[in-house]
Amino acid sequence: MYSRPSRNFRKPSIVIRTNEPDYMVFELKNTDVSAANALRRVMIAEVPTIAIDLVEMENNTTVLNDEFLAHRLGLLPLVSTEAVAWKRPFEWSSDADMIETAFALDVNCTVDGVMDVTSNDLIPLNPEHRVIPVNYQLDEKPIVICKMRRGQQLKLVARARKGIGKDHAKFIPVATAVFQYKPQITLSHSAMAEMTDDEKQAFVNSDPSKTFKFNPITRMIEVDNEESYMYDEECLVKARELGRPDLVTITQKQDHFIFRVEGTGVLRVADVVRQGIEILHKKCMDLEAGVQEALAVAKGQPLPVSAGG
Amino acid sequence: MESEGTDFFAATFSIEEEDHTLANSLRFFLNKNPHVAFCGYSMPHPSEELVNLRVQTTGKITAVQAVKAACEDLQQVCGHMRTTLAAAVTKYQAEQARDPAMR
Repeated sequence: MYSRPSRNFRKPSIVIRTNEPDYMVFELKNTDVSAANALRRVMIAEVPTIAIDLVEMENNTTVLNDEFLAHRLGLLPLVSTEAVAWKRPFEWSSDADMIETAFALDVNCTVDGVMDVTSNDLIPLNPEHRVIPVNYQLDEKPIVICKMRRGQQLKLVARARKGIGKDHAKFIPVATAVFQYKPQITLSHSAMAEMTDDEKQAFVNSDPSKTFKFNPITRMIEVDNEESYMYDEECLVKARELGRPDLVTITQKQDHFIFRVEGTGVLRVADVVRQGIEILHKKCMDLEAGVQEALAVAKGQPLPVSAGG
Repeated sequence: MESEGTDFFAATFSIEEEDHTLANSLRFFLNKNPHVAFCGYSMPHPSEELVNLRVQTTGKITAVQAVKAACEDLQQVCGHMRTTLAAAVTKYQAEQARDPAMR
């Protein structure tokens, strides 16, 4: 249709550095910052998860009031691998659609001293739905919902639904999703040749992020970890002080990003990234369909038959 | 979504329920198109999920064609990222299986 620009932003490449169930570091290359940012925004705000959305209180004599407890219950992370198969409440159309599951909490403090009501006390009323709090009944410390003393009771039913981060922060599947440009640090060997060892060491020490190191064997400054550089420009100030403003040049590679995504146990991080890409893809397809529709409406033609709803 | 002008070479697209996520990416791909003379987007108010995308072309293609081309570009990028990610995950898992000490 039109000649493609020579710099091809359409074939990004991904290299994974670390892939653990709750932490992933990967590099995204050959794409623009707007695409990287779109992926980051979708990972945070539009990947669906399951969280408690409705709490029916039967008895609450604890020190925390009803809405306080409901708020805390909503923030509990629930394993959301089923979220893909579920529908959002407004999408419900037939009895076969999964939209919610329920948990019961029934705790009565009969001992002296403080008793913790934790996420381990939530009992899934439909265990076949496979939605449980993260680290349910495992050795790790559970999440404390509330504390009680003798005589206090808490009895409720909590209903969990599917949602996205845009609606409420409790649905955000990641702890953080961040990316940085890959820094490009070039050192001038000619400037280094004119410096003394003390000056070089002083320069290396001036950077609080320890980006550089002094190699005593070659007696040169080397880059130790360029990605730790925080752009505070302390080393540039030091270079100017030493009379060598051309010693180091620090730029950012505009098409190379390093993503760090940390999960909360709600979904595997690799799944969050994959779903993020799929949701971004779907948004484009929906927009294209919308453009077609708007065109048909403006021309007074019959609406096009949508291919996928 | 509504658009003013259909066979015109300049149009403003009001996109509902969208924000910077899609609008900025589309703006980038539209600007890459050599037949687009101007492209920009604005959010009239942050509390309202509405984006106005303004496209003005040189006359070789209509504004609607430009937006559709940008959508297709973005879809291609997404599709490619998807397959690349799947391949990268498999590759990483294979490397981990071969050498678990490698991090």
